Amino acid sequence: MIVNINTKAMARYYKMACSLLLVALLHAGCKKDTPVDEDGLLITQRAECFVGNFELLGVDFVTVRSKVPVIDTTAQTINVEVLFGTDLKNVYPQFSLASDCKLDPKIVGKVDLSDIANPKTYTVISGNRLVKKPYQLIIKYQ
Amino acid sequence: MRKLNYSPVAVLFALLLCLAACEEKEYAIPDPVAGLTNDVIKRTLGPNIVGLPIEFAYAMALPASNGKLVSAKVEASIAGATGTFLENRSFYTNTGGQDVGITVGSPSVTTGTTTQVAYTVDTNAATLRYFYVIPPEARGQSVSFTFSATSSNGKTATYKMGPYTISKMDIRRTLAVSNNNNAYISIEDMAVYNSTTAVLNAAKIDLVYLYRATPTAFTHALVSPAAEAQYLPGVTLPAGVNRSTKVRKVFNLQDRNLAQLQFGIYIDDRDFQEINLADAPNYAIGLRAEAGTWVETADGKYRAYVFLNSVNANGSAVISILRYLM
Repeated sequence: MIVNINTKAMARYYKMACSLLLVALLHAGCKKDTPVDEDGLLITQRAECFVGNFELLGVDFVTVRSKVPVIDTTAQTINVEVLFGTDLKNVYPQFSLASDCKLDPKIVGKVDLSDIANPKTYTVISGNRLVKKPYQLIIKYQ
Repeated sequence: MRKLNYSPVAVLFALLLCLAACEEKEYAIPDPVAGLTNDVIKRTLGPNIVGLPIEFAYAMALPASNGKLVSAKVEASIAGATGTFLENRSFYTNTGGQDVGITVGSPSVTTGTTTQVAYTVDTNAATLRYFYVIPPEARGQSVSFTFSATSSNGKTATYKMGPYTISKMDIRRTLAVSNNNNAYISIEDMAVYNSTTAVLNAAKIDLVYLYRATPTAFTHALVSPAAEAQYLPGVTLPAGVNRSTKVRKVFNLQDRNLAQLQFGIYIDDRDFQEINLADAPNYAIGLRAEAGTWVETADGKYRAYVFLNSVNANGSAVISILRYLM
């Protein structure tokens, strides 16, 4: 069977289809189905919230720890013993966190941890941003 | 069924394109160099430091039918220090990868800013190396070079290089330091003193080298005389040695001029200008071979980088110093 379709009608259908596609695209583009937090990080379903590992580097980017750090996830403390003579005014702490967690305050460079009498507190925030656990960073010299 | 229509112009254009794409250009031998020509490359990299050489390779050639080379000359805008010379040997690389020199001229003669070699063999091509030892008067200035070659037919070819900025840094390499002996380091003098000579230069002593096996974190150390006593265990400082120098430990910064190893890292004037040692301590302990320390003297007059070339567990080390006058 031969079907004759008017050329003008074809053009009209084509324009309509294109317009529909454009509207659909715009709609999909504006839809927010992946929530992000104030740092632009993905908010997930994860509620895990803990420090997995900790490292402390000196200004020469070599570790200043004298032994493995003790991380107590119940007491929420990190106990680190550093080498004799470590310049704690200029160190780089490194936290390994559970998946999707973030740290507050953020570590953006060298940190002054020299006031060992008043341990600094870092808060771990879970992937769903609902659980917050403050960890005390306790440092002592070798 | 629709009929496809092609523009005759488009078809013609496509055919022309096809024809042009298939055309093969025949290789033509380039025109031979007609006269005396020359070329220069700078062989040294990194900052130009007073006392160290800048090395160039100067190549010159002319067709054999035009004659032979008579002389080669380099003129520097500032006269080079003692040790400046133009090689009288032309080098080639043998199959073993080694540079082999063939004597082609008399040893170079330096008069003022000009260094010259006169050819003693009949040759029409040579590459001579030029070593310009940077003189102290060039510090912080620019220096340029004019290379020129003369052939027996009276022609001259010239090639200009530069200007090259001369660093404000000073360098002193391989100073031996040892525990309780040659242990007092002066950045101003770029020298090492023992306890007797340190008294005579007390106001200029910035660091004390010491080695302690215990605690294990101590080992080799560069400590400011004014540091806490725990960082100067068992050290009785000579009278008047009391400066507090800022010191920051560094690892993996093997400056090529100091380390003289395979590393292609160079410390330049800008590193000294930009480093902030305001919060640095006045001691550095636990140092090892190929470690270093950024240093700022108590009066802020000098910044320096002290590199440990080697260390020995008997309580000695070899250090090298780069210094920058602020």
